[in-house]
Amino acid sequence: MRPVPVPLATPQLEHALKARIAGFVSTLRANGFPIGVEEGLDALATAARIGVLERDAVRAGWRSLLCARVDEWRRFDALFDSYWLPANSKAWVQNDSSGAGRGAPQRSDSPQSGFAHSVFELGEAGGAPADGDTAREGASRAALTEEVSFANLHNPAQVRELEILVRTFARRVRRLKLRREHAQAAEQRIDLRRTLRASLAYGGTPLRLAFRGPRRERPRLVLLLDASRSMSLYSFFYLRLARALTGAVADTHSFIFHTRLTPISEALDDPDPWRAQERLRLLSAGWAGGTLIGESLRDFNRSHASRVLHSRTVVIIASDGFDAGEPGMLGDELGKIAGRTRRIVWLNPLKGRAGYEPTARGMQEALPHIDLFETGHDVHSLRRLLPLLQEIL
Amino acid sequence: MQTNGGHSQAIAQLQLAMQAAGYVAEPGVCAALFLLGELGRPLLVEGDPGVGKTALAKALAEVHGTSLIRLQCYEGLDVHHALYEWNYQGQLLAIKIAEARGTQSALDEDALFSEKFLLPRPLLQSISAERPPVLLIDEIDRADEPFEALLLELLSDFQVSIPEIGTVRARSRPMVVLTSNGTRELSDALRRRCLYLFLDYPSFEKELLILETRVPELPRVLGRQVVEFVQALRQIDLKKRPGIAETLDWAASLLRLGIPSLEGADVEDIMITLTALIKTRDDRLAVTPELVERLLAAC
Repeated sequence: MRPVPVPLATPQLEHALKARIAGFVSTLRANGFPIGVEEGLDALATAARIGVLERDAVRAGWRSLLCARVDEWRRFDALFDSYWLPANSKAWVQNDSSGAGRGAPQRSDSPQSGFAHSVFELGEAGGAPADGDTAREGASRAALTEEVSFANLHNPAQVRELEILVRTFARRVRRLKLRREHAQAAEQRIDLRRTLRASLAYGGTPLRLAFRGPRRERPRLVLLLDASRSMSLYSFFYLRLARALTGAVADTHSFIFHTRLTPISEALDDPDPWRAQERLRLLSAGWAGGTLIGESLRDFNRSHASRVLHSRTVVIIASDGFDAGEPGMLGDELGKIAGRTRRIVWLNPLKGRAGYEPTARGMQEALPHIDLFETGHDVHSLRRLLPLLQEIL
Repeated sequence: MQTNGGHSQAIAQLQLAMQAAGYVAEPGVCAALFLLGELGRPLLVEGDPGVGKTALAKALAEVHGTSLIRLQCYEGLDVHHALYEWNYQGQLLAIKIAEARGTQSALDEDALFSEKFLLPRPLLQSISAERPPVLLIDEIDRADEPFEALLLELLSDFQVSIPEIGTVRARSRPMVVLTSNGTRELSDALRRRCLYLFLDYPSFEKELLILETRVPELPRVLGRQVVEFVQALRQIDLKKRPGIAETLDWAASLLRLGIPSLEGADVEDIMITLTALIKTRDDRLAVTPELVERLLAAC
C-alpha cells in the first residue's frame, strides 16, 4: 500500500483513502469479481478493523472477503499489486496460498498479470505492438495482451442465418432417443412387470397395460474454441456459433483457450449482445496470442472436466492444431477427454482448403481420438456439419 | 476510519492459538478467521481433498472453546435431515397412552407439536445453542440446489420457521464454515454471502511444521525426508494427489514398521507403506518401484 505519512486519519487523508479503496473495489468489479455494495462497505470496515498499515493482513482479509472462487483467488494478488504498488515494484508478489502442488510455476509474464495491465494501464502501454515475425499460420508461446474489439460478435446478417441453422439443429437434438429404455405410458412394447402389478387391482386380469419406450436425454455440448492469433480469421465465427448454440441448446458449455483456458458460457449467455461483447472483452486477455493447446486441455481436465463432462457429452474443439506446447501433451490430454465423453469433434478451418493434409504436429496427435473432423468455419460448411453432428450425438 | 493497527495483533494471537490447537495456519488463513468473527459472515473453504478444510473448523472450535456441530452434505439432503424432524413414534406413543388413560382432552394438537417432540438436526441445534458453536457444513457442493437455497435463507436471517410452532430465532450466531470440493459449481448468491478461502497444498516448511506438530515422536531426519518425498510425489500427475492427512498416515506407518530413515531403506518396504499415500489403482500402477527409487534418491 502507498506509504502513509505519520499523522494519521486527518479528514482529507481519510477521504482520500476511502476513495482509493472504493477505486480498488471497482477495479476488481471491472475484472469480473462479483462484488456487491455490501462487500464494498465491508472492505472499508475490514481495512479499519485491521489497520491500513498492515499490508499483508489487509491483503489477506480483502482476498478472503472479495474473492468468491478459485480463479479470482489466484488473480487477486496480481490485481492488488498493480493497484496498490508503484509500477516498478511489481515483483513483490508474495503468495502465501501457493505451496507445492498445482505445479504451474508463477511466471512473472503470465497472462494474469498482463490482464491487470490491460485494465489499468490502458492507453499508456497501448498493447504490445504486434511483432512481425509471428506468421498468421503457426503458433507462438507468447501471450499477447492486446485489446480486441468484439464489435464483430454481433454481425446481424450473418448471425441471423447462423441462428436459423442452429435452431433447426437444436430442435432436432433437444430430445435425443437413447437405446436404453425406461418405463413409459404410451408406446409399443409392453412392460410386463408393471402390467402384472396393475392387474392386481382387477383380480389378476391385465385390463390396463403398461408400456416401455426409449429413454430420452438431452445431449450436452462442450465447445473449446482456439482464440490464438493463427485462428484470428475464424475465431469470431466460431464464437458466434457458440453463442447461437448456447442460446438454442440448453446444455452447452463454452471455453476459449490460447495460452490458458477461460470459461465463457456466462458471458455468451448474456441476452444483451452488447453486454456480452463487453464481458468477452474483459475476458479476452491474451486473445490472438500464442497457442498452448495441450496445456489448455490439461487445464480443462484439471479444473472443469469433472464438472462438465459426462457420458453423453460431445466435445467440439475448434482449432487449427498449431500447438507450441510440449509434444505429446495434446494427445495425452485429448485421450483423457475421449475416455470420459461420447464423441470428440474437431473443427479445423484449414481443412476446407484444397490439398490440406493434417500434418501439423498437434493435428497428428489429435487425430486418433477424433470422431468427426470437419471445417465448420462458415455458414456453408455448417450446413453440412450440423446433420453429421446430429447423427453422432 | 481508524487507521492505526491493533487488530493485526489479534490475528497474530489467533495464529498462535491455532498452532496450539494443532493447526498450522498462515497469516492469510488467520485473517480470514478473524474476519469470520468480526463480520459474522460464513466462511467458504475450497481446495483439493486432504488439504485441511475440515480440520480448520475443528481447530477453530477448539480455539474458541465451543462445540463443533457438523453437517455432512450428500445428494438428496433435505429439511428433515438438516433442520428438524418431528418425533412421530413419540407422538404416536403419546396418543396411545392418552387413549389408554382416557385423558384425550388433555392431549391437544399444541401438546403434540411442542418442543418435546421436536428432534433438532444440526442446523437447528447450531442456532439454539447458548454459546455460539462452530457449524461445519461439510462438502456443500454435494447437496443439491434446493438445500443451498434453504441454507442461504438460514445464513442471512439466522432464524427458522417451523409451521407448527412458529419462528425460532437464533439464541447465538454460530460461526459457520462451509467446505467444498468443487464437484458442483455453487450459486453466486451463496458465494457472495461468504468469505472465501482457498487452501492449496502446503509448502515444504508448512508441511514439515504440521508433521512435527501432529506426529511429535517422528525423528527429524525422517520427517524432512517424508515431506520431501510427498512434495515430489505431488508434482507427478496423479489422479488423487496425496493430501496432508495422507502424509501424516504415511509417517505413522513408517514409524510403525520401524523404518528409521528413507535413505538406504529397502524399496520393497517403502512400496508396502505406499498404501497410505496412493489411493487409486491407476496411481498405484503409475508409481513404479523405479520411480520410487528415483524419488528416494532425491530425498
